[in-house]
Amino acid sequence: MILPAEKPSDIMPSSNCPTADMRAADLIGTVSVKTKDLFPEIKQGYLQGEGISEIREATEKALADIQMDSINQNHTVNILCSEHGFYLLGGEHYCEMLKTIKDVVQQRTGCKKIRLRVAAGMGSRESNEVIRHFRLTETFGKRVRSMNAFDKGIPIETEIGTLYGLAGAYDADWIIHAFHDEPRDLYFYRMIDRAIKAFAMSYARFETRSVYHGNFGNRSGAFIQRAIFDSPFVQKKFAFGCFLRMTPSGITGVDADSDLYRLGKDMTVDLLRDYGKILQLFSKIEECTAVLDGGRYAYYLHAGGIVFGALENAEYDAFDLSQPAALAYYDLIGKLSRGETEAMDNIMFVNPALKAVVINQAWPGIPMSDLPMFIPTIVVGEKQADMWQMDAANPSMMDLAQKAETLEEAVTLAKQLSGTDKVLIFDGSFGYINLSTSLAEELLQKAPAINQKVNEELLPLWLRQRGIDPDIAVMG
Amino acid sequence: MKSVNFLSQIDEIKCTGCKKCETICPSAAICMSDNKAQVDEGKCVACTKCWNICPEEAVTMLPRKEEMMVGVEPEEVNSEEIESLCAKAHLYPDQFICACTLTPAKEVAAAIIKGAKSPEEITALTGVRSGCAIYCMAPVLRLFKAHGVSLHPPDNHRWYNVSLSLWDVPEEVVQKYPNYYLREDKKELYK
Repeated sequence: MILPAEKPSDIMPSSNCPTADMRAADLIGTVSVKTKDLFPEIKQGYLQGEGISEIREATEKALADIQMDSINQNHTVNILCSEHGFYLLGGEHYCEMLKTIKDVVQQRTGCKKIRLRVAAGMGSRESNEVIRHFRLTETFGKRVRSMNAFDKGIPIETEIGTLYGLAGAYDADWIIHAFHDEPRDLYFYRMIDRAIKAFAMSYARFETRSVYHGNFGNRSGAFIQRAIFDSPFVQKKFAFGCFLRMTPSGITGVDADSDLYRLGKDMTVDLLRDYGKILQLFSKIEECTAVLDGGRYAYYLHAGGIVFGALENAEYDAFDLSQPAALAYYDLIGKLSRGETEAMDNIMFVNPALKAVVINQAWPGIPMSDLPMFIPTIVVGEKQADMWQMDAANPSMMDLAQKAETLEEAVTLAKQLSGTDKVLIFDGSFGYINLSTSLAEELLQKAPAINQKVNEELLPLWLRQRGIDPDIAVMG
Repeated sequence: MKSVNFLSQIDEIKCTGCKKCETICPSAAICMSDNKAQVDEGKCVACTKCWNICPEEAVTMLPRKEEMMVGVEPEEVNSEEIESLCAKAHLYPDQFICACTLTPAKEVAAAIIKGAKSPEEITALTGVRSGCAIYCMAPVLRLFKAHGVSLHPPDNHRWYNVSLSLWDVPEEVVQKYPNYYLREDKKELYK
């Protein structure tokens, strides 16, 4: 069913990006489709403003069976969390889970030295903005602190050598890994060990993250997180993991375990099944303009629970591990390895179905200069253009991108340049997708066949590749 | 070649001398003088990390009066030497190792062959690590290691020497974890 456009989730104001004058959902002609109308089997969850008290109850229930006897009242405990969770459907659910973890641990163990460590990628501004916006000091007092990839490190001896974590993450007797299972940049870790990815990213120094991306492959990089998590140093401190569980249709609950591999296996089955369908659907889009309209790094803005980066790389099946690359970057190196230099000249770093991109509001800081190299890219507003002009991660962006004064003007221009009236809006949505009527009709028409293909063909393949028996996992 | 159009400027009244900007600066363009941060304009590659990290918001990014170009021409160095160094590091010369500046391995290799002795010098010469720094640091350290340069990390935590790559993973680990495609990716990334 095609419905009126949905109001997108709120955006946390940030010095990383000027606030747009208009949300893309307010564009005339924008409609929405609910993810449950595309794939009825995907479990419906809470959206912004819904189910906050239920998340507290779910967290308490999930923690009820967790062994906490080793934590005593004189110990220090770090609850490790990530910036990403605070941008999921307004962030209040993640926030409630974190507060509840503190309350439960304090109540069960008598420990009062429970700190919150908020990890962010590029610097301290992001995490400090999160701490202020969500008033985290009201719960954690002075025991809340930001962390970023350039903070002081601590060496971690692993099975493959020394890697560096963030000293601030590990400066306690115990650590609690408080995360979310939304798959985000699945084209990097290929849905291998989602539950422990943060140990090689959010809680790691930038050199370690670079080893992951630059010194390992598109599948083997996932081994870095395992090497760190399995190290005696981390294992000695690790208490348990607690995850906000999500489907493309919203937040469905909370799960916790001291065995992250067990938790990760359960999550993998659900994530491959549910997000795999949206991902496959996006890969079958023949042509569209993407409108980026959210308060996060451009690649991490969601539509129907899938980030824009996944659409940009949708010509690859990131879940199929027989494919060595799910990103043009790795694909290009593979082609060099195979001597396919002619093919290399023609390689396009962007999904060919993506015909244009409009940036209404999105953070800079992550490299995406490849967009305007290959497709029309239009930045809305002078302030936004100035911001991208200054972005060291995209030094050529504004040499190649076009500017428009308003969102309406940008979308009109994008339609002219791309030759398609199909528009897909990445505005942080779960549970629905805001888009043009023409694209809504295409998605609704294609979804049933994709549902069948994922259930019968792709999901069993993806599961077997990860050592999970599909008969047991799916059929129970 | 990378064009640098901005420059960090420190507000000395706001600066408390905490040294966070000095520590994070990838090109060592910031040093302390009289407990205030000072920017070497010739070295600043406008990475904005000082702007992001400053707790006092004492850093402003200003447009440069004149554009500054950074880069090393690989043609200035014997091509066989570049190919040999890249091969030792298991990198293709044309493979870009910085996703932000799109700098190829051969440019960093040329800078090292010409005498660069530290990651800071590589950043000042090529602009690599002026963006997100999340992709490029480890391959830069790989090239240094392959060239036999003995690196000395600074006393602060600007960087640690981590050059670990697929080619350093012991065979017993490769065999123990077949589901991580360590053997297959090694073939995929460099033959």
